[in-house]
Amino acid sequence: MRFNDLVSGAILIAAALLVIILTLRFPEFPGQNYGPAVFPRLLAVLLILCGVMMMIRGYAAWRAGEPLADVPSWARDPANVISALLVLGASLAYILVLDAVGFVPLTIVVLLVLFLWFRVRVPVAVVTALVAAFGVNWFFASLMRVPLPRGLMDWIL
Amino acid sequence: MTVDILFQAFALVFRWDVILIILASGLFGMFVGAMPGLTATMATALLIPVTFFMDPVPALGAIVTATAMAIFAGDIPAAMLRMPGTPASAAYTDESYLMGRKGQLDLNLGTNLVTSVLGGLIGVAILVLAAPALAEFALAFSSFEYFWLAALGLTCAVFLATNDPLKGFASLFIGLGLGTIGIDPAAGFPRFTFGSVELMQGISFIPAMIGMFAISELLRGVTSMGAASEAALQQVGNVFKGVGGVLRQYWVNFLRGSGIGVVIGALPGAGADIAAWISYAVSKRFSKEPEKFGTGHVEGIVDAGAANNSALAAAWIPALVFGIPGDSITAIVIGVLYMKGMNPGPTVFLQNPQLIYAVFMIFVLANLLMLPLGWAIIKSAKQVLRVPKNILLPMILIFCVVGSYAMTNSVYGIIIMLVLGIFAFMLEENGFPIAPIILGLVLGEMFEQNFITSMIKSDGSFLAFFARPIAGMLGVATIAIWLIMLWRMGPWAKPKPAAA
Repeated sequence: MRFNDLVSGAILIAAALLVIILTLRFPEFPGQNYGPAVFPRLLAVLLILCGVMMMIRGYAAWRAGEPLADVPSWARDPANVISALLVLGASLAYILVLDAVGFVPLTIVVLLVLFLWFRVRVPVAVVTALVAAFGVNWFFASLMRVPLPRGLMDWIL
Repeated sequence: MTVDILFQAFALVFRWDVILIILASGLFGMFVGAMPGLTATMATALLIPVTFFMDPVPALGAIVTATAMAIFAGDIPAAMLRMPGTPASAAYTDESYLMGRKGQLDLNLGTNLVTSVLGGLIGVAILVLAAPALAEFALAFSSFEYFWLAALGLTCAVFLATNDPLKGFASLFIGLGLGTIGIDPAAGFPRFTFGSVELMQGISFIPAMIGMFAISELLRGVTSMGAASEAALQQVGNVFKGVGGVLRQYWVNFLRGSGIGVVIGALPGAGADIAAWISYAVSKRFSKEPEKFGTGHVEGIVDAGAANNSALAAAWIPALVFGIPGDSITAIVIGVLYMKGMNPGPTVFLQNPQLIYAVFMIFVLANLLMLPLGWAIIKSAKQVLRVPKNILLPMILIFCVVGSYAMTNSVYGIIIMLVLGIFAFMLEENGFPIAPIILGLVLGEMFEQNFITSMIKSDGSFLAFFARPIAGMLGVATIAIWLIMLWRMGPWAKPKPAAA
């Protein structure tokens, strides 16, 4: 989504106000005038200034005919949107099930899905996914000693 | 500096494992730089998880080498495909491509390679001479000087790096705001953590980098996959033929380009891509034959090819001496220095001089290595540029995920990567620059700490911020830039075109 500065500015101001509300609960320390709330509040005020100036600019652009929100050209092709969602979905899959499924099986599945969606030929996709999953696991888990979750691998291998 | 330190540094660098790591990261940098859409910053972000487990010298050596190679290698697809491999080559992409069309591809690539190597060496020479001297000078700095230095650096990042200062400042404040998450530096109170123990140590820096640079670039890559065109690649001949003649004719341009590169690079907040744009513009402005620019003329390429590589080395000056990054690559480097316990600042030159000189040596080595490696990558460019994007991009995603996981040893790193990746992608779509966010995130804690310390020392009086001579000078310079920018942002200024 591409927003008019009127909308972007309003979002900035809302976020900055939220920061100020949160800082109200920060403790005051007797004898210390400049505590944990000073800097975030200063930033929030500056952000609100930016937001107001953006809204003024955006209002002029809106009056001149710019829409409030616009779909960028890449997003008009549903295939591109699915590509982006697949990349995000793959990352989300790692967050949700990495510990349960384990790095190697999950990586094989993720790579296969992405490869096939991007029209890599099936034999190339299968071989690359397998080699990459075991290769990366060997490099990081064995060589670099990163505790990548083994998950299902424990009872397969 | 004693000879003893040089010997220690020599022993740290010239070991077979360090040399092998430098070679491997050189090849990695060449590859990433030559692939359009993959930047030098992305190369650095992907390298960090691997270097995390190394000693400081090989870790820094890998970053130095990979970035130097990537900045040069970005020139290759610019000349062959009219697509800059990294943003640092964008300034002269059209010029290079037109040279290729005129049948001067060999001369163009040769000039790019040789000016990159020599420009890089000039940048290193200035780094070696200036950094220790500045460090000695910086020992006397107090929180007021550091406050203004950080303010000046952050301001320069907005001033030079964007054509929309308003959104640049908004990005900067967002970055500084993200930096306030976690235990606050003055009173030790956990801010904006919402009860999460992991957020108490702040936003984990490397996963944030990977998200903001790699994931958002990846999203742009997969959404433009269909648009990539299959261009016919020309065969490359002898690239060094005629380069000597070009250098003899345009040696003034070469020196000027390197000089501009050093100054822009050393300015906190601006790096190789801006150095290339400015030196190219300067070259055209002072050329005897400006009408030839834009038709495939080698003159501006000499300037800009030297400038982006000299800027790369010079960007390390403020990073090492003050802990203030010169560009987004050194912003990552500063994160690495902290992780390795080499807190950047003038004292590192006193406590660990052998490490600093080892880094200098690697810089020289990397630039010399660029000649053979660059030649090899030019010769194999036809094959490299054919690596299919549909296999490469999913692989990069896997490296991003593993890299983020490795930084926290938990899924928490991947969460940060994903959230900030989407956030950065949305911001860039709407014309907000990303570099100021990174600088804000890196400098946030130091900036706040010096600000609060100064406020407590001066008991809230802003006059004290100008009371010391150097602090006063830096403060006046910073405020002058603010005023220029405010003037430009006012309603009387011409409306600016949307950021590219």
